[in-house]
Amino acid sequence: MPAGRLAGARPAIVNAMDSAVPRAAYVHVPFCRHRCGYCDFSLVAGRDDLIERYFQALGRELARVPEPLCLDTLFVGGGTPSHLGVAGLRRLAAVLQDKLILAAGAEATLEANPSDVTPELVEVLREGGFSRLSLGAQSLAPATLAALDRNHTPDDVRRAVEAGLQAGLTVSVDVMIAAPGQSLAAVEQDLEDVLALGGQHVSVYCLTWEKGTRFASLLRQGLLQEAEEDLEREMYELAIERLEGGGLEQYEVSNFARPGHRCRHNETYWDCRPWEGFGPGAARFDGRTRITNHRSPVTWMHRILSGADPSGECDQMTPEEAARERIVVGLRRRDGLVRGEFAAASGFSLDALAGGAILSWVEQGFASDDGQRVRLTRRGLLVSDGLWAAVLGQGA
Amino acid sequence: MSIDCKHIRNFSIIAHIDHGKSTLADRLLEWTGTVEKRQLKEQMLDDMELERQRGITIKARAVRMEYTHKGEVYELNLIDTPGHVDFHYEVSRSLACCEGAVLLVDAFQGVEAQTVANAYSAINLNLAIVPVINKVDLVHARVDEVLAEMEQSLGLDAADVVLASAKTGIGIDELLAGIVERIPPPAGDPNAVLRAMIFDSHYDSYRGAITYVRLVDGTVRKGQKIRFLETNSTHDVLELGQFVPQRRACEELFAGQVGYLVCNIKDVKQVHIGDTVTIPGDNGATAMPGYKPPQRMVYCGLYPSEGENFEELRDALEKLAINDPSFEYAPESSEALGFGFRCGFLGLLHMEIIQQRLEKEADLDLVQTAPNVTYQIKKTTGEVIEITNPQDVPDTGQIDEFRQPIVRTNFLTPVEHIGPIMQLCTDRRGVYLKTEYLSPTRAMLTFDLPLAEVIYDLHDKLKSVTRGYGTMDYELIGYFPADLARLDILVGSKKVDALSIICDRRDADRRGRSIVKKLRGEIDRHMFEIALQAAIGTKVIARETISAMRKNVTAKCYGGDISRKKKLWAKQKEGKKRMKSIGSVDIPQKAFMAVLDTGADRS
Repeated sequence: MPAGRLAGARPAIVNAMDSAVPRAAYVHVPFCRHRCGYCDFSLVAGRDDLIERYFQALGRELARVPEPLCLDTLFVGGGTPSHLGVAGLRRLAAVLQDKLILAAGAEATLEANPSDVTPELVEVLREGGFSRLSLGAQSLAPATLAALDRNHTPDDVRRAVEAGLQAGLTVSVDVMIAAPGQSLAAVEQDLEDVLALGGQHVSVYCLTWEKGTRFASLLRQGLLQEAEEDLEREMYELAIERLEGGGLEQYEVSNFARPGHRCRHNETYWDCRPWEGFGPGAARFDGRTRITNHRSPVTWMHRILSGADPSGECDQMTPEEAARERIVVGLRRRDGLVRGEFAAASGFSLDALAGGAILSWVEQGFASDDGQRVRLTRRGLLVSDGLWAAVLGQGA
Repeated sequence: MSIDCKHIRNFSIIAHIDHGKSTLADRLLEWTGTVEKRQLKEQMLDDMELERQRGITIKARAVRMEYTHKGEVYELNLIDTPGHVDFHYEVSRSLACCEGAVLLVDAFQGVEAQTVANAYSAINLNLAIVPVINKVDLVHARVDEVLAEMEQSLGLDAADVVLASAKTGIGIDELLAGIVERIPPPAGDPNAVLRAMIFDSHYDSYRGAITYVRLVDGTVRKGQKIRFLETNSTHDVLELGQFVPQRRACEELFAGQVGYLVCNIKDVKQVHIGDTVTIPGDNGATAMPGYKPPQRMVYCGLYPSEGENFEELRDALEKLAINDPSFEYAPESSEALGFGFRCGFLGLLHMEIIQQRLEKEADLDLVQTAPNVTYQIKKTTGEVIEITNPQDVPDTGQIDEFRQPIVRTNFLTPVEHIGPIMQLCTDRRGVYLKTEYLSPTRAMLTFDLPLAEVIYDLHDKLKSVTRGYGTMDYELIGYFPADLARLDILVGSKKVDALSIICDRRDADRRGRSIVKKLRGEIDRHMFEIALQAAIGTKVIARETISAMRKNVTAKCYGGDISRKKKLWAKQKEGKKRMKSIGSVDIPQKAFMAVLDTGADRS
């Protein structure tokens, strides 16, 4: 079976300088072996019988794109894309290659469950043009993995990272903090172990208790406890300090990378550049309007295969609203916003939209402002959700 | 139709709340054919929507009925009275217009605090009492015991008591006969100089003020001129008549009758309950005794949440005041809340009613400060000032005497709850006066208590310590000196004037501690630490700290997440409505009521 290859000798068909044409795409693979207790993502667990229909539907959805897109970044997330296995991933690449073409030097990421990653699977990824492996490791402590409902072992993680690195892929590791029962010392150990793995990228997430998850209902019943706010903060600050000390620079609220290894795909979101999205729950954005597909995999498939529109929520913004959003996602990055760049990209003056707020943040020590660049301080970053109401304004 | 004095009976129904007064009134209207059964809206007399919702009578009403007794036709005027302690004065004026009162007691609940209070008001005005036990058909009715309570507490003869059920009509004929036979006809000379008493009014947007009167002497005719003694204003009588129960115009009303006058009065403030109506000029009648200007016992500040709604609030208050002369408002400004109004009410229920109307009718977001009673201060200069806002308390050096209103309070309770009530009252610095036993199982306790201690939560506390069986009623006996002080609250080292209270100096520590503790629970964590302090003058007596928000940052923000997270962030803003920013602290409306927390669980 010939492996599909996304990176091609074919010339870029669309003009790379046309900023309205997306140069990034997200593909959602909604399959998992089982659903973890904290997860509210768009996925089905234990329904591999739907995979064939999924490929059909994905092919149909891609047909919406009139001309093949030339991509600087591709992100295949889930769910668990690696759950498709070697054959399934070849099939996926074949479905995608008609409409998605990777430009030279493109970044293409696949999310994987550590226990799925084998040297063979990594080889298939390389053949398919993937350059990046994002591992849902969460922890290297058996107790934490058990508390989080994960079915892989610390050794699975080690093997997976090694396999990825050996094949020349950039490896990113997800780490969860504030898990049920997790101590500060356990987080400290996890961070040390994660640094020792040698990956180039780490994402750190505090456990969130999403409505409708099993964890949320256990919390309600008092069978699980949320970490205290102070402990959560200590864990998060510890993560920032340890990872930066280990050479991974924080470049966004939850993301850390060695120089040159930031996730360029995610930076597309935060730069508010357009992107395409395919699969259930996937969003697409044209600079003004963000449309999210229906979150249920079954509904998404059904709609597409019956010729209906799979779109769900639609977030349509005025230019000003889009500019305000740009301030928020921009300031969540450690680089912050540069006035000139902001004005050029959004058409609005940063100070006209948020001058008063910025001034008060600087006064309260939440932000720094050198006249050109505005950045949140550590203090500001830690409580930043409370800042944005002042920027998003009435329309938000 | 002309009728002579001998065939007129003027009466009220007095009862404790929920003893069935409105149902009885409905039954009388139906029995006398005043209203046909099918037209009878339930509780005919409570025609304001709010009254219906709350099942209470706020404004007095008057209805004329016709009843044939032993072949003769009688005019029965039922003057309805409000049932809540806030409206004591209005009750007393309505009763003053009657020669008799139907005293209604629930066959299960028995004699309660308002039964006693209202019965004594009627007895003191020399009214003939027609006692009735209502709901005698209930399975739980305990008629014999209730008869004994009525004999014991009110000195009534059990043989005179009519046993009735307003719901099913049992005893209604007997009651109507009793009204005719036992209540005397009005005295008064139709040919004497006009002398009438105003016992109520309401505002009609087409006709202006509708004035409710009882004619004591003389006759009033359509087109004549009349004069109100209190305002000394003269008016033309454009229309007069009686309520049947709708307005029905007639040519004249004479001594003994009850009816209404329409005089093209655009401002209800000219119509004073208890005022005397007579003829213009020097030969008019003298004023009738008992008139008092409306006495506002409770004040609070009302502020628009959004400063720019000040004018809208003013318009809304003006509209309400037209309908309700007992409500008063004046502009004031607060450092914390900006521009708003100081509003005066007869009592806490009255305040709640007004506030609900404002929100309902004007759709305004309001911040209300905690209510306070009125105080008097005798300054060292000898001048006596009235304090309706804690901010107006002068420096200690200028105060000779700080006086607070004291009310005589009666509690009726099953005897097993006497202990807890004693405790409740002594905790509130009450002075014990006496205990009277109505029966071996029920007693009446009398205390003098500071009004401030009574209005806020005493009723709720009473209900809870007596499992709902205790009732209370109170009456102002005057202003008495006490060791009072103004307690200030500082939020983030800024004094928030709207949070100041006046309290007994001996309670200040406890109140201060409980207020700042309560505030700590009401004010959300901010980006910075907030100190909460209670102080008398410059002396801080209690302190709490709201620590700064430690972590509030959402993680995943990729692709479609952004739309969802934006809603979350915007919600944090939504939550700030109904808040006032003081300095940079957002204080929710509820926090302004925190000062009412008396720290009453005083263990």
